[in-house]
Amino acid sequence: MTDTPKDRLTGFIARHGTIVMFLLIVLVFGTQAPNFLGPDNLANIIKQASFIGIAAIGMVFVLLTAGIDLSVGSVMYLGPLIAGFAMRDFGVGVAGGLLVAVAAGAIMGAINAFLIVYLRIIPFIVTLSTLFFFRGFGAWLTSSRQFDFPDEIRAFGLSSVMGIPTPILFFVAIAAIAHVVLSRTTFGRQVYAIGNDPAAAEKAGISTWRVKAGVYIICSTLAALSGFILIAQIGRLDTGFGEGREFDVIAAAVLGGASLFGGIGTAFSAVIGATMIQAVKTGLVFTGVSLYLQPMLQGLIIFVAVFLDSFRASQLEMLQRRFIRPL
Amino acid sequence: MSRQTQTLLGFDRLRKEYFGVPAVTDLVLDVPVGQVVGVIGENGAGKSTLMNMIGGVVPPTSGQMFWKGQAYAPRSPGDATMLGIAFIHQELNLFTNLTIAENIFVDGFPTRFGLIDRAEMRGKTQALLEQLSLDASPDTMVDHLAPGERQLVEIAKALHRDAELIIFDEPTTSLTPRETARLFETIERLKADHKTILYISHILSDVERLSDRIVVLRDGELVAEGPTDEFDIPRMITAMIGRELSGLFPKRSAKPRGETLLSVQGLSQPGVLDNVSFDIRAGEIFGLFGLMGSGRSEMARILFGLDPYAAGTVTLNGATLAGSVRDRIRAGMAFVTEDRRAEGLMMDASIMDNLSLVSIERFGRTPVALLDEKAIAAKTEALKSDIQIKAGSIAVQPVRSLSGGNQQKVVIGKWLINEPALFILDEPTRGVDVGAKYEIYALADRLAAAGNGILFISSELEEIAGVCDRVMVMNRGEVMGTFDAPPFVDTEILALAFGEQAKTREVSA
Amino acid sequence: MRLFLSDYFVLYLSLAYFFALVPFLPTLSNPANLANVLSNMWPLLVVAIGQTFVLTIAGIDLSQGSVVGFTSVVAAMLLATTASPDVLSNAPIWGIILTEEGGPLGHTSFGIPLAILIMILVGAAIGAFNGFAIAQFQMPPFMVTLVTMIVISAFAIFLTQSENIRNLPEQYILLGKGDIVSIYLGAQDESRIPRREIYSLITYPMVIAISVAIVAHLLLNRTVFGKQVFAVGTNRKAAEISGVPVRRIIVLVFTISAVCATIGAILYSTRLEAGRPTLGEGNFLLDVIGATVIGGTSLFGGKGKIIWTVFGVFFFVLLSNTLNLMNLSSFHIDMVKGSVIVAAALLDVWRTRLMREMNA
Repeated sequence: MTDTPKDRLTGFIARHGTIVMFLLIVLVFGTQAPNFLGPDNLANIIKQASFIGIAAIGMVFVLLTAGIDLSVGSVMYLGPLIAGFAMRDFGVGVAGGLLVAVAAGAIMGAINAFLIVYLRIIPFIVTLSTLFFFRGFGAWLTSSRQFDFPDEIRAFGLSSVMGIPTPILFFVAIAAIAHVVLSRTTFGRQVYAIGNDPAAAEKAGISTWRVKAGVYIICSTLAALSGFILIAQIGRLDTGFGEGREFDVIAAAVLGGASLFGGIGTAFSAVIGATMIQAVKTGLVFTGVSLYLQPMLQGLIIFVAVFLDSFRASQLEMLQRRFIRPL
Repeated sequence: MSRQTQTLLGFDRLRKEYFGVPAVTDLVLDVPVGQVVGVIGENGAGKSTLMNMIGGVVPPTSGQMFWKGQAYAPRSPGDATMLGIAFIHQELNLFTNLTIAENIFVDGFPTRFGLIDRAEMRGKTQALLEQLSLDASPDTMVDHLAPGERQLVEIAKALHRDAELIIFDEPTTSLTPRETARLFETIERLKADHKTILYISHILSDVERLSDRIVVLRDGELVAEGPTDEFDIPRMITAMIGRELSGLFPKRSAKPRGETLLSVQGLSQPGVLDNVSFDIRAGEIFGLFGLMGSGRSEMARILFGLDPYAAGTVTLNGATLAGSVRDRIRAGMAFVTEDRRAEGLMMDASIMDNLSLVSIERFGRTPVALLDEKAIAAKTEALKSDIQIKAGSIAVQPVRSLSGGNQQKVVIGKWLINEPALFILDEPTRGVDVGAKYEIYALADRLAAAGNGILFISSELEEIAGVCDRVMVMNRGEVMGTFDAPPFVDTEILALAFGEQAKTREVSA
Repeated sequence: MRLFLSDYFVLYLSLAYFFALVPFLPTLSNPANLANVLSNMWPLLVVAIGQTFVLTIAGIDLSQGSVVGFTSVVAAMLLATTASPDVLSNAPIWGIILTEEGGPLGHTSFGIPLAILIMILVGAAIGAFNGFAIAQFQMPPFMVTLVTMIVISAFAIFLTQSENIRNLPEQYILLGKGDIVSIYLGAQDESRIPRREIYSLITYPMVIAISVAIVAHLLLNRTVFGKQVFAVGTNRKAAEISGVPVRRIIVLVFTISAVCATIGAILYSTRLEAGRPTLGEGNFLLDVIGATVIGGTSLFGGKGKIIWTVFGVFFFVLLSNTLNLMNLSSFHIDMVKGSVIVAAALLDVWRTRLMREMNA
């Protein structure tokens, strides 16, 4: 192939479109509002991104198997809620609450997994219905009222270790663990295999049901955890908490490069995607764009990212197309 | 040697019925250790059912299987794998987003402290790849491998699992001759290592060349079995179809007429085609031969408007074609693609819906006007009996339930209502059994006799030589030469296809 | 067995459910309630019909809800007869389109048909945009329509600063509430009939929804376009090679979906007597997809029927209604709805398996 500078640029953008766009966004906001690039603000962006980001890491696992989980928004609500009851009524403390939230998330994931793996109902429908179900259950527990957490939870949520806010620590730690699990464990590699070709995975002797069950459990667990970490910063739980967040979570994962068709994506996809969305949100606030217009601009940016992703796919296909003769 | 006569896998009155219809009938057979056993039979003869039983995909209805003398009743594909049975299918079971090493170890990675031990995995893979003389790093993504290389990875997988019985199911379908030759060497080597091999193929000359013994199935029954010396290709065919086939190819019923139907001039696309020119006359079956990667299918796609081209003209019936697929269909082109499942058929839709798809716009005055359903039924019924699609109710029965040959007839048939002038048939007999092949050749002949032109693309030399009026050979996107009249000589065609200059005969390029 | 595999299965299921519950919930069968069930059914049906087209080509349209909200605002800002500056003076449309005298079409004779035409054009444009992005750039429908959903609903909220636009003309409201034929079941000798004893028999929404359903049914099953829609949903590559104008079909299907949502918006907003930017938010979209899938339309394309959707919507609305009558709270209803969607999907898994076996 002849490599003109233009071709190389196209190739580069096609391969690293997300990063390029991410940097562009940061730059644009940086020139518009110099404070935007201040270390405090950057840390703040990552801290706020941790909420969608942690859940999006879980979503990447599911998307890798070509599945989808629409119930994460409800899990974000119900998981911390159950933890809240445990803390208020049984005095389990913050650490106990965190464990309860995670366990509740795992159980909700197991319910999804049971329906998907054992009863073989497609993930879209299963998680659509558990979306209703989990939220209904939570609203029933609280009689649709706001739930106030014990005060100690905010001390945890707003704490920091060596100057690094706890939510960021969780975000980074989970991303690192997820990365190792996906790239260096049998389970992780089998997740990729199933997303690439489920029938072949079955034939290759991979216990696909176990892997699939695993990804839904991981996804819900992380969703519950992300909810808990955000709630820990707020101190109370509104009935609408997490509603519609499933779309933010999926958008973050896809924005970072995970494919809805399975087999493509990494833990960092979620980190980049979530951080990017948050950077845009924060940037719009900095530049003083009307609150009503912000979702529109976010939507447009997601659109451009998805467009770039499709463009990347078609470009890569062209680049990888085998030429049968020299050009 | 007693070792040679030991039985690895045995069947005793093995039987499988689907809804009371036998697919395999009371099969009694022994597969000896260390031999290559060729298994042949038409589609529907019971080969797949037998393999599915061996592989633990379906249980037998009655009868028994034995593995090294012990009763063998696998409950899942995992059981078969564990005992040492490996399958190499025509569609490979590899994960293109994983590396070679990961593919080999995907069902059980070596681990240290819970993490995958990459060094060990790499080392073991390297050894296997060397054993098979595949020159690639264990860390190569399978996505980047050629079909032949992928197959070697599949074999490496089998070796890694210490498979004793390796079952090859149509392994050469997507291989180049060079890759095929390498596969055969590998099979010889496996045999030398006392591996036992079942080799299933429609390509009888390959079976004859590779096998020590041959097993012929027909309608679920074992009809012939014995050492390969006792078989020649005519005997294999007779055994498979249960009657003498008077030649593999029908006689051409009419000569091509004089007038040019399709004219292709200087067709070029960087990286794909270079200056391809040829003419097809009315009534002619024009053969196009090329190896994998010669540009034959790419050219077909370009002709049909599916892919772009940088230069050249395509003229059909005197009109120069430009534009999309729809324009070309309107101008009278029909395209039967090589992959009928992915590109030819709506597998779960009815035969009628498939047959009427191309011509559907004829049956409604506007896209949103009500269709003339009676006319559709009448036309498709007529078509069904005309090209002899063996099926029940065409309005209800899904195409998926048809045999390969009948499916292919549907793919060809869906173009017929529009009465096109030029048919592009890309590998029209791939995966089709001997009897159905004959019918497809006959159909091509009939279409040609009616004054149509046919571009007959194939990688099977025999059929190219057997059915075509002229043969053009391509290599690396270029026309290497054209043979203007039969008899076509295999070696000459192949020589051109490999890119060597034609030496012996008059060749017009 | 036959029954289980029949097109009418969901209808039978609904009827069985109905008759099983009538003894326990006598109000269920009273005419006022039945009229209520039906009136809830029509708008949802129209929207779900659009979704059926999209699912048939293996797509999904998440933007329908936002189209409902947005187009309801479009119509209302054109048609309002008066508007209160207290509520709307902050909206960017104030003074430009909407003033204290209402919208520009509020007092004209041709206003309603023209406003509806504009609304439908706006809806169609949104749908065509979805379809174009999906067909031309091969972008996944899920993401494209997700973005459209976010952008369009944000824009609708921006236009009115999340306020409702009220004071719609009587004639327009008739489309969502008006009776064409109604019956009175009370005593014959009363001179004045109390309004609540008149039961709507045939209403405008019913006529509109049934017309849409019939047209959609004919379009999907009996026309060239419909056959090509199925072809795209069953095997896109084969359809393309067979000369089906795949891109055009995709664009048209998403346009149909958005237009159906727009017609739904007319029915919803006239019932509400207001244009509301958040009309299609929350669980609305999930109701639409849930009802369509319960009917039997597959998310994987190539399998869909309007009649299935009619029954699916009927079942879904009946279910919500009975749960309301049982005095269950909204969260219980959510839980039951969730379970019912799973149950329906499970039935579909079994049905598909049975059919495969019968065909094999």
